[in-house]
Amino acid sequence: MKKIKKYFSDFGTAVAKGDIWTKLSLVIMGAGYFGRKRFMKGLLLTLIEIGFFVFTFCFSWEYIAKLGTLGTVQRKEELDLVTFKKVVNDYDNSLLILLVGIIGLLVVLAFIALYISNMKAVYNAQKLEEAGKHVNTFREDLKELINKKFHITLLTLPSIGVLAINVIPIIFMICIAFTNYDKDHQPPTYLFGWVGLENFKILFSSGTTVSFGYAFPRILAWTLIWAAVATFSNFFLGIFLAKFINNKNTRLKKLWRTLFVITIAVPQFVTLLLIGKMFGNYGIVNTFCNNIGLTGFLQNIGLVSKGLSYIPFLSKPGWAHVMIILINIWVGVPYQMLIATGVLMNIPGDQLESAKIDGATEPQIFWHITMPYIMFIMGPSLITSIVGNINNFNVIYLLSQDYVTSNMKFANSNAQEIDLLITWLFRLTNEESNFKIASVIGIITFVICAVLTLLSYTRMISGEKEEEFQ
Amino acid sequence: MANKAVAKPKKKTVRIIIRHLVLTLLAAIWLFPIVWLVVTSFSGYSGINLTHFFPEEWTIQNYVNLFTKRTAACNFPAWFKNSFIIGACSCIISTSFVLMVAYAMSCMRFKARKGLMSFSIILGMFPGVLSMIAIYFVMKMFGLTNSIAGLIIVYSGASGLGFLICKGFFDTIPASLREAAKIEGASELSIFLKVVVPISKPIIVYTVINSFLNPWMDFVMARLMIRSKDAADWTVAIGLYNMLQRSLVGEYFSIFCAGGLMIAVPISILFVIMQKYYVEGITSGAVKG
Repeated sequence: MKKIKKYFSDFGTAVAKGDIWTKLSLVIMGAGYFGRKRFMKGLLLTLIEIGFFVFTFCFSWEYIAKLGTLGTVQRKEELDLVTFKKVVNDYDNSLLILLVGIIGLLVVLAFIALYISNMKAVYNAQKLEEAGKHVNTFREDLKELINKKFHITLLTLPSIGVLAINVIPIIFMICIAFTNYDKDHQPPTYLFGWVGLENFKILFSSGTTVSFGYAFPRILAWTLIWAAVATFSNFFLGIFLAKFINNKNTRLKKLWRTLFVITIAVPQFVTLLLIGKMFGNYGIVNTFCNNIGLTGFLQNIGLVSKGLSYIPFLSKPGWAHVMIILINIWVGVPYQMLIATGVLMNIPGDQLESAKIDGATEPQIFWHITMPYIMFIMGPSLITSIVGNINNFNVIYLLSQDYVTSNMKFANSNAQEIDLLITWLFRLTNEESNFKIASVIGIITFVICAVLTLLSYTRMISGEKEEEFQ
Repeated sequence: MANKAVAKPKKKTVRIIIRHLVLTLLAAIWLFPIVWLVVTSFSGYSGINLTHFFPEEWTIQNYVNLFTKRTAACNFPAWFKNSFIIGACSCIISTSFVLMVAYAMSCMRFKARKGLMSFSIILGMFPGVLSMIAIYFVMKMFGLTNSIAGLIIVYSGASGLGFLICKGFFDTIPASLREAAKIEGASELSIFLKVVVPISKPIIVYTVINSFLNPWMDFVMARLMIRSKDAADWTVAIGLYNMLQRSLVGEYFSIFCAGGLMIAVPISILFVIMQKYYVEGITSGAVKG
């Protein structure tokens, strides 16, 4: 609060106490520098100002003005009876209005910030001149940029990238969650508008035709179960595998490690599609199972229904859930093993030695020294990988290529039993163009990830644990 | 007494044998799909062989087809070229962005530093798939869909956010090293380029590999951005994914396997050479990340 107050009061003093050049900067941003004979800088700032006004008033303003309604004129095609050509009226495109409106508003905000900081800088220059001190030339300013202000040079381009690829799209999609942008309201032909919290209500209610209220809690539950199971199974199995290979009784350690690492080299989408085909309803694994009589055996004990001539590895709920977790272990364990190997090699040797001298057994050493050390180093990454697994698109999407849900309540909301929130979201946008609900799901996913991350940061980072192993 | 002495090593030998048997079994499970990929790529039958693991007929025709065949669904040389250009360019841009941001966050002290760091962590928690649609609209507005340049921008634009691990590494570099250079009169720019970057080899290798593999292996974003029906505009991932469509899989499955293997080759070479640095990079960043 104090900071904000100071920010504006500084601006106020600059305006009140400035001389004629400083005050002139209120209108022409470069004026303050022209007055101190820093023409390059003055020119640059004035050009930015002109550019901003041209951009805003010739281009983005008409979009910003319509942000409140997202457009009112619907597209119409009429046959011009004189020329016999189709004439399209001057219609509003809700999508463009929202997008350009957001960009335009951000530009305005950025300009206001620049404007205020410019006033302060100009006033500073005035004070320096009054005190008879040197005012930096343009060349000196440039030199500052690779020295004291090097961070500005470093951060400018990456920030622009993040703004364009990350911030603007996120703001845009959050806005979409409060509109009725879906299959029936697609620009440019149709308009969409603000609906408030309507979409959140839809997601939690279930009716006869649309059943988001049925699908959502189930998919949410599976997402959380999946994230927990996938993360911990990979984590512990990876560590055990690394321990197993690193054991002094294992010969040819490097060879074993390489054998597992080979699987990382083949891109995930290739292996996943391939495994998907292997475990397909009429895939090669099913042929084997049939040949050795496993299918018949499973039918007899009731795990596979009698009507099927195959094991529905990836096409029935239950089976598919288990298979996906198993396949994910296949995908993730080598990677985790590689990391764990690196961590295991760095365990302080003296601790292990002294434990051995004290007569600790192997399991004791493992649970009381090795595991705490691993948890200390890899604990924070555990939370990151839970969040990563909540958003694990590839595994689910590529393995559910042949999956067709038979549950009408799921199908009504374009979901499948094995969908995660994230793949559901993708299906809704890509196949159904149901952007409004997809955005709501996205926001909920974000909230879950944010809560998890915040919890972990306070748990893992805080406290005196940091120095324990240093 | 004598019996016991003999029995003990024997028991140990048995345990060692069991240990290796377990490892062999695990390795077999893990290599099973990979071996299938390899043998199918040499199969004379072009569809999915449902009855035999090993092909009945061996041929290298799939590889010949892969590199020479030009059909509506297959143009591997063009895909490889596209993917390589995208991968290499976004690798260069991403790596420089990551290093730049990490240096600013780790070695420089300025007012907005803490705020920017928390902001970037929050941004990182938004699901990528959510913003993908919006990115598509933004790119469409600038006319950058269906182009390699657009994909490069999409893959590398936001890469600055992934600075945390690299920052963790930079944090371990003693500040005295930088201060010494500063006393000698070096500017921040030359400290960055001549002091910090040369001793950060592990983390740079780690970043380079990751930022090359990300676009090299991604297909969701590529599929969203590239809507062209002309196979010459696709990337490897889109092309290979397309081959497994129900109508094409019978004709192209073995070629898919050959293609999948071919794109694994550069990655494997990269991994074998860089394995040491890679592990070092992960673990060094994790400590303070």
